[in-house]
Amino acid sequence: MTRYIMTADLRRCIGCQTCTAACRHANATPPGVQWRKVLDIESGEFPDVRRSFVPVGCMHCADPPCMHVCPSTATYQRDDGIVGINYDLCIGCGYCAVACPYQARYIVHKAEYAYSERAGANEEARFDPARMSVAMKCNFCQDRIDAAKETGLTPGVDPEATPACVNSCIAGVLAFGDREDPNSNVSQLLAENQFFRMHEELGTDPGFYYIFDKK
Amino acid sequence: MTTAKAVKKVPQYCYQCVAGPDLYTVKVEDGVATEIEPNFSACEVHPGAGKCCVKAFGIIQKTYSPNRLLQPMKRSNPKKGREEDPGFVPVSWDEAFDIIGAKMQEIRAKGLVNEHGYPRAAASFGGGGIPTYYMGTFPAFLAAWGPVDFSFGSGQGVSCTHSEHLYGELWHRAFTVCPDTPNCNYVLSFGGNIEASGGVVGAWRHGEARERGMKRIQFEPHLSVTGAASAEWVPIRPKTDAAFLFSMVHVLLHEMPRESLDIPFIKHHTGSPYLIGPNGFYLRDPTTKKPLLWDLKRNAAVPFDTVDTDPALDGSFTLDAIEVGADEQTWTHNGFTAETAFGKLIARVQPYTPEWAEKTCDIREGTVRRIAAEYVEFAQVGATMEVDGETLPFRPVSIQFGRTVNNGWGAYECCYARTLLACLIGGLEVPGGTLGTTVRLNRPATTRQASVKINEDGFMYYPMNPTDKANWKAKPAVRNAHDTMVPLSANSPWSTALGPTHFSWMFMKESPENWPKVTAPDIWFCYRTNPSISFWDTKELSKRIAEFPFIVAFAYNHDETNHMADVLLPECTDIESTQLIRIGGSKFIEQFWDHEGFALRQPAVKPAGDTRDFTDIATELAVRAGLLEKYNEALNRGSACVRLKAEDYDFSLDTSKRHDAQTIWEHTCRAASAELTGGQASDGLDWFKENGLRTRPISRLSWYLFRELKMKGIRFEMPYQERLYRVGVELGNRLHEQGISWWDVQLEEYGGLPKVLDFPGIWEKETVRQAGADALQQFPYWLITSRSMQYAWGSNVGVQLMEEMSDSVRGHNGVLMNTQVALGMGIQEGDMVEVSSYVGTTRGPAVLSQGIRTDTLLMMGQFDHWVTPYAKDLHKPSMNSLIPMSMALTDSTGSSADIVRVGVRKLEGMH
Repeated sequence: MTRYIMTADLRRCIGCQTCTAACRHANATPPGVQWRKVLDIESGEFPDVRRSFVPVGCMHCADPPCMHVCPSTATYQRDDGIVGINYDLCIGCGYCAVACPYQARYIVHKAEYAYSERAGANEEARFDPARMSVAMKCNFCQDRIDAAKETGLTPGVDPEATPACVNSCIAGVLAFGDREDPNSNVSQLLAENQFFRMHEELGTDPGFYYIFDKK
Repeated sequence: MTTAKAVKKVPQYCYQCVAGPDLYTVKVEDGVATEIEPNFSACEVHPGAGKCCVKAFGIIQKTYSPNRLLQPMKRSNPKKGREEDPGFVPVSWDEAFDIIGAKMQEIRAKGLVNEHGYPRAAASFGGGGIPTYYMGTFPAFLAAWGPVDFSFGSGQGVSCTHSEHLYGELWHRAFTVCPDTPNCNYVLSFGGNIEASGGVVGAWRHGEARERGMKRIQFEPHLSVTGAASAEWVPIRPKTDAAFLFSMVHVLLHEMPRESLDIPFIKHHTGSPYLIGPNGFYLRDPTTKKPLLWDLKRNAAVPFDTVDTDPALDGSFTLDAIEVGADEQTWTHNGFTAETAFGKLIARVQPYTPEWAEKTCDIREGTVRRIAAEYVEFAQVGATMEVDGETLPFRPVSIQFGRTVNNGWGAYECCYARTLLACLIGGLEVPGGTLGTTVRLNRPATTRQASVKINEDGFMYYPMNPTDKANWKAKPAVRNAHDTMVPLSANSPWSTALGPTHFSWMFMKESPENWPKVTAPDIWFCYRTNPSISFWDTKELSKRIAEFPFIVAFAYNHDETNHMADVLLPECTDIESTQLIRIGGSKFIEQFWDHEGFALRQPAVKPAGDTRDFTDIATELAVRAGLLEKYNEALNRGSACVRLKAEDYDFSLDTSKRHDAQTIWEHTCRAASAELTGGQASDGLDWFKENGLRTRPISRLSWYLFRELKMKGIRFEMPYQERLYRVGVELGNRLHEQGISWWDVQLEEYGGLPKVLDFPGIWEKETVRQAGADALQQFPYWLITSRSMQYAWGSNVGVQLMEEMSDSVRGHNGVLMNTQVALGMGIQEGDMVEVSSYVGTTRGPAVLSQGIRTDTLLMMGQFDHWVTPYAKDLHKPSMNSLIPMSMALTDSTGSSADIVRVGVRKLEGMH
């Protein structure tokens, strides 16, 4: 079995938003729709203050609440752990967006462009009407992973088979790979470091791991 | 049935900030650029794993923005000013060149220099040399033209790390300074925002270092991105960094065992043992005039370069010697009892106790002592490291500065203390320690090593602008007078833009006493620069620009500076045009490569509208100015990137002919291939288009300058600054001979050993002088700024994606202020506030944060746009309209800082 997961090393993250920009490019999302985003979180009181940068997005949960509430079976889970959305089935009801504890879903009802009502050439070239009024979210750049089955490339190792956010990260924060393969890069990282998962207490078994220190 | 798209990935470089270049590819689908990705094929040679930062992702929106200028325009309203509609009307390229050509011919007929001695042509570009990487062959046009004044600044001296540029080059060939991050274990960062300003390579290196356990302590009034990623944040009072650093020196010299320092390094590789005379100059051998030290082996004074000595560091020694002062004044001393430079230093730092620092910096004395002790402990004095088969000292501690710490009053003292602290533990220019990146003032610029030459006193030669009576330039060659006023600014092609670039603007309005009149240039070229919003006192500065009679702006869109232009020339964007640049070696901010070579940017998509490749524009300007032959000669000399003819190859252009951009870059690419391979290869433009870059490996030994100094028997010029003292006295003499006394306060900065002054008090006093006795009550807060990775240097404020990305980084959207302070004033998150100084006001939403001192406010950007499309509607605050251009706030290097006293009030009823 395969379970694709992502790890984020919080020691390294600087909140630069390069991953977010790369995701916007790779997935041609409209302004403000950030399947991958990085939170800038402040805690404590002056002068004992911490500021943390935390990449978030769809956690590709093993037990995804968004899927359970979907009335149209649009949200599905693949054998490799990736949670996806079938736009043809999605009715845009928004239940999934409410059910997701990670606020990872977006629904856009009106085409929006960077500068005006009119699309730029790049926006025009990539506009997908199937995405209007349906739920959208990170899919771990699943097209690349699917293509890797043909090419023999390894997701998380070969850039062509790796999510855009991971490829773009300038501080080496993000990694991607198969949690079930003990020799994968992510399994090695998790074996060597301490980590947590967000809202683990909710029982969603998220597939996004936050590394914070060596073991 | 849909047809498969034609898809290609085109290699490019990104040089939108001083931390570049980075390498990426642009994906093109059916002729449309759609996606930016790192250049994965470069990950083995690029020190940031071949990645590019968030800024690079803006280029696609920039290219397809509806706000671009797509054809040349000319001004129809002869009146210029912010309130005037320029009445730009479209013209053909021919008509635009006709207008500019006529003006250029007229100027050349009058003479290249005006009646006041200033160049009639001026040119301004954005900072850090970045525009050079996008202006194609325009440098060859400027070289062909003759004298050009580059001194109308757009933030130089402020938005750079100015003091570091000058003193860094003096002391260790360090135009900028950084840790040897891959080997460093302990970094003290004073306002250094490396995670925002260090680009991809900075972020990558520091991320790696943090993971392996490097400890970084961040000193700054607010908790920046870099502070967030550091082990500890020390919220220091603004502009008191020098006090903390001098207190560290105090702890090292007065409280720690002397043997914990690197005594052999101090004795043999610095000027510490040099003996000081009663007039503050070195005591010298009467015959050779060489500085003397006291040799404990011979128990006698000997010239500094005597072999087999054990130089004394402490104590008093009686000797006969001469002392040579300013303007060759000489004193003879018989039986004088002298102290060493080191001894003088110990006495100088005696008052700077941690208890004193606590009062000055608002940092507990225990913190000063702990950090000083950690600094020495982490230094591992005595340790060594093998680098490419050579054994070098290993000192994994370093100190890094950001701007403001590095600008204006107090910055010299910071740079001094940082360099001194490195010397005390033997950590300057060695693995793990404090390194310079590149040279911009010293020559040759090929490598740092090549610029290292010994001077008569055993230190590195430095190309000071002359201050002696025979050679001092009483009449400045350019309007900011760097060659007259700032000896340290030297006279390289970079020097003009490094001097006091606000002087050009200030003196145009009103020349100081006994100063030559400063007049507007007859023609001004500007590119990727917007001083109307990016410098200080922006309202006044815009008025000065409006006085320029003829402005040619290479323009991407309409902005606040080209609003005053006579002709707008729309150039292609980065991914629509061609240019080859050098990459590799070592360069700011932390670009340390194991390779060197060349990278290409190229047209991935067709130029939009009637825009042109900058190289073709430059060629046409050369033709219209009657300079084609000189322009081609400049290209052959390498003005655009690489010499087209050398010993191993000859790809010279025929100087009598006009060449199109593709031909010029074909020749350049072939020369680059030949240079890298010793003439073996001659691959041209097609090869570079396919491969993107070509490199060859270099030794990492080139990163560490200590080795070069040691081989050449050169000492680091620490701790005593006899040379600066002499230069300062001579400069004072020259100025006083001209009846100029308005620089006297600045002249006090030139001394043998620096002192820590009340640096915040300089700003406070000026506030009171300008705004009255109750000014500090009226303006009770310090306003500072912080670097933005998303925006800095990028000329991308009109790019939606950058606004969206910056929106997620705290502080970009408004006025950052301490939560308790804000709530105490009834200000909630998002409330509109007005921030005022004695110069002006700005407004924006309040951003409440626990991560900022209670006496400090922060504004990230420069968003005073009133013309630039998209940006003008952002309604963000800008500190530039609050900061004065002030002689009193200018230090001896011609720098001042982005800091000002302000008041804040809530604007009722506005959210």
